[in-house]
Amino acid sequence: MIVDDSRISCAVLNDILSKTNFDVVGMANSAREAVEKYQAYHPDVVTMDMNLPDADGIECSRRIRALDGSARIVMISAMKDAALMLKGREAGISSFLQKPVNPNELIDAMTFLCQDRLAHLGELKELYVKSFIKVLQKSLFSLVGVHSKVSFDVAEGNYLDVDGIAVIIGLTGSPMGRAIVYMNRGTMRKFACSLLAKDSEDELSEEEASDAVEEAANIIVGRAASTVNDLKEKEMRISPPGTICGNSIRVANFKMTSFRIKAETRLGDICMNIGFAEGE
Amino acid sequence: MDAKLVNPFIDALSAVFPMMGFDVPKRAGMGVQEQNCTSLGVSIIVGFTKGLRGNVVYNMSDEAARFIASKMMMGMPVDELNEMAQSALSEMSNMLTANAATNLAAMGLEVDISTPSLTVGKDFKIKISSSQYLVVKMDIGGQILELNIAVQ
Repeated sequence: MIVDDSRISCAVLNDILSKTNFDVVGMANSAREAVEKYQAYHPDVVTMDMNLPDADGIECSRRIRALDGSARIVMISAMKDAALMLKGREAGISSFLQKPVNPNELIDAMTFLCQDRLAHLGELKELYVKSFIKVLQKSLFSLVGVHSKVSFDVAEGNYLDVDGIAVIIGLTGSPMGRAIVYMNRGTMRKFACSLLAKDSEDELSEEEASDAVEEAANIIVGRAASTVNDLKEKEMRISPPGTICGNSIRVANFKMTSFRIKAETRLGDICMNIGFAEGE
Repeated sequence: MDAKLVNPFIDALSAVFPMMGFDVPKRAGMGVQEQNCTSLGVSIIVGFTKGLRGNVVYNMSDEAARFIASKMMMGMPVDELNEMAQSALSEMSNMLTANAATNLAAMGLEVDISTPSLTVGKDFKIKISSSQYLVVKMDIGGQILELNIAVQ
C-alpha cells in the first residue's frame, strides 16, 4: 500500500512496483485514509510519506502499528536525518529511503522486510495448498468427469463474496483453519446435474443441488486433509460442513492467511479458499 | 441430538459475557429445528471435531451484533458493522467455543475447534445438519443471541 499526499509520487511508486512481484492493493492520500485502507487490505508492506495533510508520516505509522503490531512500514521522504530516523523507529518504521527513490533500493528494502512473510507463505503452499490443488483437480474428474484448469493465489483482504453456495468446513488440530468451497448458482446446478447423473436441470430441486455440492465439498476437503496427513504426518481433522446458500453473501475471516484456488471447468468456476489461523 | 450438550455452551456464555462487561445472559428459549437455519443477519460458524463432531452457529441480528461489538469495544459507538466490530465478534465466538470445549472436556468429550467464519448478508440459509439441531436463544442485555448447535 502506498501512502503519499502527492498523486504524482503515488503514480511514480505505483509505476515502479508494477514492474515487480509486489501488487499495489491500495493508495492513500491522508493518514485517516491510510488507517482505513490498512484495516481493509492488510497489506504486506506500506510505503509512507512524511508529509500528510492531517498528520505526519510518523504519527500515521504509529496509528497503523496500533492496529497491527507487525505492520511493515518503509518511509520514503525528502528528508532523512538521524533525528527523524530515531523518531520513526520508535513509531515502528523499519526502513528509510530518500526521495527521489531509487527503484532497486526500494525493492530491496521491501523484499527484505517481507522475507519472513514470503517464507511463511512458501511453507504453507508446500505443506498444504499443493495437496489441496491436486486433490481438487483429481476429485473434480472422478466425481463429475470434468477436466479443470487450476490456478491459485494468495487471497488478499479479509472478505470472500459469494453469490450462490459456500460450503464451509473447519480444519482443526494442526494447523487450524477452514476451507470454503464456493461457486455461483448456475455452476452449482450444472455440477449437481453431472454428479447425480440427471439429464436436465428441471429434474433438480434447489435442495438436491446444494446437497450434492455439499457432499462433493466434504469429499474433496476430506481427501485433501487425508493426503496432507499421510504425506506430512500431520493430524489435520475436518468438521462437518456448514452450507450457506443465498445471494450477496460475504464471509469474513480475520487473522488468517488464505489462498484462493480456482478450477475453471466447462460447468463454470469451482473455487476453494483455504485459510490458516495466523501463527500456524 | 442430546439436549445435555446445550449446557456446556450456556455455561460458556455465562462465564464469558460477564468478563466482557455484560450482565449474565438469560435463557430466552430453546427448541429443536430441522436442517436449515435462516440467518438473522450476522452468523458466525465454528466447527469442532474429535470427541464430538459438529458445528455451532452464533446467529444474531445486525442490531444485536452492533450492540455486542460496541460493548466489547469499551462502549465505542458502532453505527455500522465495520471490520473492527466484525473482528471483535469473531473473537467473541472463538472465546465462547473454546470455553465450551473446556466444559465438554470436563464431560469426557475432548474437542478441537476451527477458526470462526463470520458471514453477513440478507436472507441466506445455513445448513448445519442433515437432521435435527438444537436452538438456544439467549438474552444478552435485551438483545437476542441465537445458538444453533448441531452434532453428528
